[in-house]
Amino acid sequence: MSTLPAKHFEDVSVGEELEPIERLPTEDLAVDFFGRDNPTNPAFRDAEIGRRQGFGGALVPGLLKLAWITQYVSRWAGAHGRVRMVRAAYRRPDVAGRPLTIVGRVVDKRLEDGIGVIDLEVATLANGQPSVHATVQVEIPPREQSG
Amino acid sequence: MGSPEQSLITEEHRAAIGRTAGPVELHVRAEDVRRVRTILGDDDPRFGEETGIAPPYILAVIEPAMPWQLLPRILPSGILTQTEWTFKRPLRIGERIFATHRLADIRDRLGGQYGYSVIMNVMTEYRDEAGELVATSLRTSMQFDPAQRRERARE
Repeated sequence: MSTLPAKHFEDVSVGEELEPIERLPTEDLAVDFFGRDNPTNPAFRDAEIGRRQGFGGALVPGLLKLAWITQYVSRWAGAHGRVRMVRAAYRRPDVAGRPLTIVGRVVDKRLEDGIGVIDLEVATLANGQPSVHATVQVEIPPREQSG
Repeated sequence: MGSPEQSLITEEHRAAIGRTAGPVELHVRAEDVRRVRTILGDDDPRFGEETGIAPPYILAVIEPAMPWQLLPRILPSGILTQTEWTFKRPLRIGERIFATHRLADIRDRLGGQYGYSVIMNVMTEYRDEAGELVATSLRTSMQFDPAQRRERARE
């Protein structure tokens, strides 16, 4: 089993950039993500339907991108961190088969009743252009509380 | 169909604001957690099956479809444009959750890459068997006319 390093509130700096990661969405991934028995938008698995709806191919589900963003920040927050809120605006449709880069940056940190609260801005980039803009809030305890 | 010159939202549509649906019973299933963690390549030990804790993004999979019966159909196509999740505590593998939906708002928008569009907000509350709030989801969907979308894409 892998381990996840602990991060403390004091370790986080405003302006800090998260290490970017790349993900490749595909039609199969979209279908498997929701489960083969789960009915979803047919444009997620059929490029022709996506084109008929005015997009360039099969659509990448917003919830798949949201899951990637949540995982990205949850992992960054470390062993004692916890995602409190994620808000994602899907600015541009993404099309299956085009890689996405996920990037993030710390925009604020503060203590609320002794709890360390961190605000981050996260985006998915397709060909360098943002397709999802997200605001994520996580709790990361101060060193004295996490032992 | 070209862009309408006035709002297509009627008083009847507005009367739907505040309507609720549910509760819908959901199950945080171990097999869903396993499948989704594998697909996302998530080896975070906090969400290993033995911990009993589900990763927050499992909401994407257990979240019920949009409650279409609450949403007036004004334009032919729809797409999700925004999602906001809040978590009061982690979801637990095996637990039952009850989702209640409320149509929170309807508004429209002229212009942009979709042409005239109608925007609807649905708030969903997730409560556990004790009635405690576990998470919320605010979903914004947009209805649009694909013909206008194609026209805009060509411009």
